[in-house]
Amino acid sequence: MSARRLTRRNLLLGSAALVPLLAGRAHAFGEKSRFIPAVAKHGGRWDGRLSGLRRIAWELQRRTSVEVVPDARPFPLSSPDLFEYPFLYFGGDGAFPALGDAEVTNLRRYLTYGGFMLADANDASDGAGFDASFRREMARVLPQNRLAEVPSNHVVYKSFFLLDSAPGRLLNKPQMLAATLGKRAAVLYSQNDLAGAWSRNESGDYEFDVSPGGEPQRELAVRLGINVCMYALCLDYKDDAVHLPLILNKRR
Amino acid sequence: MNSPTFNAWKLVSLSPLPSWALVALALGLVLGVGLAAWGVRREPSRGRRVLLWTLRLAAGVAALFFLLEPGIRHLQVARMKNRVAVLVDRSASMGFPSEPNGPTRSAQVAAFLEKAAPSLAALQDRFTVEMYGFDPELAPVTPASLAKDPARAGTTDLLAALRSSAGAGQGSRKLSGVLLFSDGADNTELKAGVVGRARAALADLGVPVSTFTVGQEALKDLAIEGLKVDDFAFVRNSLTVEAEVHGRGFRGQEVPVVLGQEGKTVASKTVRFETNDDVKQVSFTFTPDQTGRFVYTVSVPTFPDEAVADNNSRSFTLKVIRDRVRVLLVVGRPSWDERYLRGLLRQDANVDLISFYILRTLSDDPGVSSERELSLIPFPMEEIFDTKLDTFDVVVFQNFGHADPSLSIAEYERNLERYIHNGGAFVMIGGDSVLGEGRATMPTLMEALPVAAAGPANPEPFTARLTPEGLRHPVTAIGTGASSTEAAWAELPPIPGINLTQARPGATVLLEHPHQTVNGKNAPLVAVWDYGRGRALVMATDASWYWAFAAHRDGSPNRAYDRFWGNALRWLVRDPDLTTLKVTADPPSVEPGRPVGVVVQARSADYQPAQDAQVRVELFSVATQKPVAVQTGATGVDGVVRLEFAPPAPGPYKLLASAKKGETDLGQGEDAVAVRAVGPELSDASVRPELMEQVAKVTGGKAYKLPQDGLPDVPLLDPPVVEVGRAKDQPLWDRWYYLVALVGLLGAEWFARRRFGYV
Repeated sequence: MSARRLTRRNLLLGSAALVPLLAGRAHAFGEKSRFIPAVAKHGGRWDGRLSGLRRIAWELQRRTSVEVVPDARPFPLSSPDLFEYPFLYFGGDGAFPALGDAEVTNLRRYLTYGGFMLADANDASDGAGFDASFRREMARVLPQNRLAEVPSNHVVYKSFFLLDSAPGRLLNKPQMLAATLGKRAAVLYSQNDLAGAWSRNESGDYEFDVSPGGEPQRELAVRLGINVCMYALCLDYKDDAVHLPLILNKRR
Repeated sequence: MNSPTFNAWKLVSLSPLPSWALVALALGLVLGVGLAAWGVRREPSRGRRVLLWTLRLAAGVAALFFLLEPGIRHLQVARMKNRVAVLVDRSASMGFPSEPNGPTRSAQVAAFLEKAAPSLAALQDRFTVEMYGFDPELAPVTPASLAKDPARAGTTDLLAALRSSAGAGQGSRKLSGVLLFSDGADNTELKAGVVGRARAALADLGVPVSTFTVGQEALKDLAIEGLKVDDFAFVRNSLTVEAEVHGRGFRGQEVPVVLGQEGKTVASKTVRFETNDDVKQVSFTFTPDQTGRFVYTVSVPTFPDEAVADNNSRSFTLKVIRDRVRVLLVVGRPSWDERYLRGLLRQDANVDLISFYILRTLSDDPGVSSERELSLIPFPMEEIFDTKLDTFDVVVFQNFGHADPSLSIAEYERNLERYIHNGGAFVMIGGDSVLGEGRATMPTLMEALPVAAAGPANPEPFTARLTPEGLRHPVTAIGTGASSTEAAWAELPPIPGINLTQARPGATVLLEHPHQTVNGKNAPLVAVWDYGRGRALVMATDASWYWAFAAHRDGSPNRAYDRFWGNALRWLVRDPDLTTLKVTADPPSVEPGRPVGVVVQARSADYQPAQDAQVRVELFSVATQKPVAVQTGATGVDGVVRLEFAPPAPGPYKLLASAKKGETDLGQGEDAVAVRAVGPELSDASVRPELMEQVAKVTGGKAYKLPQDGLPDVPLLDPPVVEVGRAKDQPLWDRWYYLVALVGLLGAEWFARRRFGYV
């Protein structure tokens, strides 16, 4: 995973990204209804993909009509302030200690009453590291709603871009997992370090190489990120009957 | 002592032997005759054989004669005096003229009965003549009362009258015949003719019914008959009303048929009558656009020379209800405000949600080489804002305002304004693109909203404050009572920012900003009003989702957001259950001459039954636009009171109710009721001579038509004969010559047998 070379093109893109960021920082009417990612602070390494979140917010602003405030807001999971940010990123690199009871309770309430959480194994672990810790905590937060594979016809794969798989920085698992409450996926979990594919350093270069698909895979990871954000915002809008004929036609 | 006078006789057996003995002896005689015949069967001479058989048979008969001892029983008998019923139709159709400009049908019957009085009196020798009018209950009448009292019955039921006449009258006297006077306009059992069970029932009467048809067939008349329509319909769904228009004497003429709703024309068609007695089917298809109960009327014009004018229109009430609330949600761009409203609407089983989000504008670059990589569809603006707009119960704009030509609705603003004015419901939810923000001002649409933009938005968080109007209004009634509602709103978290607007005159502000003022008044947050026949609601913020999600931050379950939007939708579509005063016409269609009933159910603000509430109901004529009568009453324990109005003139009416409990106003409500101009009886002025003929034929009577010069010779059953005096038996067998004949026959047979060589 090497840092990318600073190019004029990347510098321009990075500068352009600052415009909405600065605009978003102004206390403007409608700001709270905009897309503002919150980040879960836990006992492990939780803050390794903040630039990735900023980047995906910027992409969301650039590619869609969604208005964003891209600076992610970190909160302890026990914080009531979480309830002003319906999109929560829960990432980590390596194992993390067990959540406190207040955190578990608050997170359960957050998810139950309409919050959405994107979980992301930054270490792309499976059965160890972040993955083991996260599964352990999810069993406490939503004991009745176990993580299950997201079927390929789920609306998250068509909420803006038409996608077939769920790549991140890596492609260990072709699909994401979900914890579903009613008909709504309250938690989406990627074991492919999704935000790792989005992350840029301060000079505007991507922080990590993407494997095995290289830059096309990175683009797919960005598109998946936008779809996830769109799903959090629009739920099953793209499952409405009015969209189905056109989507089916495009998928042929 | 005078000997009794016998006027009848009959042949009887005077033998003292019991019946079985007589039968046994008779069998013995038959056997003896048979054996004798058997004994001479080989006789070669046919003449001898026949002579022997004849003599033995004659001797056997003579012996039987002596065994039976026949005699004559002289009797004194008398005939019963049976009944003859004269039945006169007293249904309202007998009030029609018997001929153009002639006397009524009833008067014609009265005149005939007056003329036939001597003939009827002559029948009194053998029969008791009873004269009844039927409506369909039998009541004694006289020719004078027939001429004087108008016929009023709402139905004609010939069969019921005939059945009743068979059972009426004095004691056990049987009916010998019926004289039935009617126009034959039966609208009950014999409506379809003398067929099936009705035919069998007539035959079972066992009495000849002679019919006298009154009235001419060739009247000139237009009538609305056979209205077919459901009792209820779904709002914004098409509905078909079928009517039969019966024209007599209108051959070759075109007549307009109009369907109206409380004075407003809904549809019209023209029918052309091909013959002088023609029935045309007319169907109207229309789409009711409001829920509630309405009076519709199908009518044809009244011509000066028509026999009956009252049957030229026919009213019915139609209850228009919701199926599922069809909500069109148009979203300017995805946001958390949209996400929570969508989540709420999607989980509501009563809502059929159709939504369109602008996911990409012209300035967005999705970074794809082909549109096929995107799941986006074109925004079907013309379809939803023009051709399909009227199919939606509620249209919601959520921060939807675009100035780009490809997304601007400037071309359809007037459609939306008309949609609301004509009975639709509209919600404008604020944000940074509408209500004074953004570049799309939408001036025409804004005319239909209860607020007007009043400057730049205020982004500072604030806690919404309930206005006095909001405390009572069903939209903001999220608690179980006023205090509970007030507490529920106070508990909700502050929301970040408000679009600055000011209420238009006539608007009702339900929630407001506690400090921010516009022209000296607090800026409205939620305002509603009725615009034309429709309703509009404005939510001047894009952050009501805070009530859905942020309200849970402290752990307490809070359903304020769900209740608020649920109430709003129900109020927008005029859900009858949301009113505190429920008014129901009972029944919704009233026959002519019947009282109008109304049931009022009053509830207090917390939706509990309001006992002892003072209810006032006004019967308001839609035709004259004037109140007709007022009734008042107090509700019972269940909050219900039933009031009744004296029979009003035919036409459509509204029942306008209001209620108070003490000084507290319990609100207002209304319903519709149709008072029919004519019942089934008067809707058809036609005479049915063929029915009268069939009745006569099936029962063994004869059919006649009035006028007649006098009472014809009608078939009547003879009265039965009964023995009323003494009887005297006169033996026939005890004559000497019968004995001589018997001995002679036996001797002749004995002599012949010996002569022919038989032992």
